[in-house]
Amino acid sequence: MSGIVEARAAQAHSMIALPTHDELVEQLFVRDLKLFVAQTLEPVQQQIATRLEATIPPQSTNDPVAALRGQMEEVESFKTWLSLKRETQRQLWAAVEDCVERQADELEALARIENPKGSLTIDPDFKAPAYITHGDIHLMPGGNAYDDGSLLQGAVMDRGGAVYMLGRNGGMLNDLRGQTAMAHLLTIAPDLEPARILDMGCGIGTSTVPAAQCFPQAEVHGIDVGGSMLRYAHARAEHLGAAIHFSRQNAEKTSFADASFDVVYSCATLHETSPEALVNILAESRRLLRPGGMAIHLEVPLLHTFGDLWQELSAELEAQYNNEPNWRGALSVDYGQLMRAAGFTDVRTGYQATAFNARTAPKKFGDTSDGVFRSWFVTSGKV
Amino acid sequence: MTAQRLPRTPKRLDAIPGRSAHDEQNLAMIVSLASEVTILRARLDACERLLIAANIFSPHAVDTFSPDPAAQQAREHMRLHSMNKIFRPLQEAALADLAVLSQPADPETQL
Repeated sequence: MSGIVEARAAQAHSMIALPTHDELVEQLFVRDLKLFVAQTLEPVQQQIATRLEATIPPQSTNDPVAALRGQMEEVESFKTWLSLKRETQRQLWAAVEDCVERQADELEALARIENPKGSLTIDPDFKAPAYITHGDIHLMPGGNAYDDGSLLQGAVMDRGGAVYMLGRNGGMLNDLRGQTAMAHLLTIAPDLEPARILDMGCGIGTSTVPAAQCFPQAEVHGIDVGGSMLRYAHARAEHLGAAIHFSRQNAEKTSFADASFDVVYSCATLHETSPEALVNILAESRRLLRPGGMAIHLEVPLLHTFGDLWQELSAELEAQYNNEPNWRGALSVDYGQLMRAAGFTDVRTGYQATAFNARTAPKKFGDTSDGVFRSWFVTSGKV
Repeated sequence: MTAQRLPRTPKRLDAIPGRSAHDEQNLAMIVSLASEVTILRARLDACERLLIAANIFSPHAVDTFSPDPAAQQAREHMRLHSMNKIFRPLQEAALADLAVLSQPADPETQL
């Protein structure tokens, strides 16, 4: 098992909350229970779905996913599986919150940095958009925009994110999406030397730091809706040696000037917004780019690449019960058409092979997915 | 005990069709208990390994341990205590059923 392992030495990166023996075992229990739910229990539900799907007459419905869902909801073990799946997520946050709260003072002390390379701008009057406040994304209590004046929610998201991704997104750095976005840039525009880069919906900066590492001469910015998350992102980036300027902003309409960036990108942000916001974010990324600049938007695999009804239903359940506000919208739109409508040229849509290091990774981009976590959906366009 | 500074209940938990609040509470408690047992076993394992590494006892000392009569009695008491604690709801439900069946017949409801 890569990523999170039962060895304290492997748990460390500069700011991350370090678990005690018992806290680590508790988090590993959550991880293993998630794997049990996904790899042992879910395949049986998939087989049940296959049998029930065969009983639905093809002409009887325009919405086969809804029809299958109705049938599955009559199956007792399906409901228990769904409940258990959600409970694992709640256990995850509870376990991580205990770990973070225990060392709150140490984390706050670590975040007091004398001469930071980057900066942090928190607008106290910022109002988070409705799709953020409607429900707590990923069931993280308090939500992404939570701000109690501390960095603790950011610390929860960092450690929780690594457990949530089951270690498959770069272990405790959780940075493979950012590395992959930069690898895509190097794949399609290897000669571009960006002077300014913006990460939209940067969270705690896991995908922002790779941009600073890949282009150390560039001025890198990250924006997000969460005050606590940005405080943590700033401290985390400084401890990792990355000079990044974080600010609390809505990616639909930022305060940056027209044509002020060479690269604007987002990593798994669009499915956590709304159909309207998605269009607005693409347009904003277009507005911010200088001539010759590139926009890159990375997402989880699109629904039509899943290939069967159960996978579509499973994704729909994930969206509803794990509070992913724009899952279906973001994973079923025609990105090529939307990017062109936003004014981009040289528009690409496809799958970029997951990169562990953007500079040294194979520059593989094509029409087909290599599977979840082995490649990421990417759309990109030029100004 | 550390004071909780962060919220614990997420906003928006959609109901799962066919699952009662009671079902969800029971499941959450079972998962929490399984988590606690897992932590406890890992901690016990860590203690054993540390004691072996410190040459306090041999690698098979626990598996070959034979309690003396006093220890056996104490351990039987612990097991019984656990049974009563864990299966109390079943005992209560059975006693409630028995109580209903044991009530004298109400003459007004008899035909």
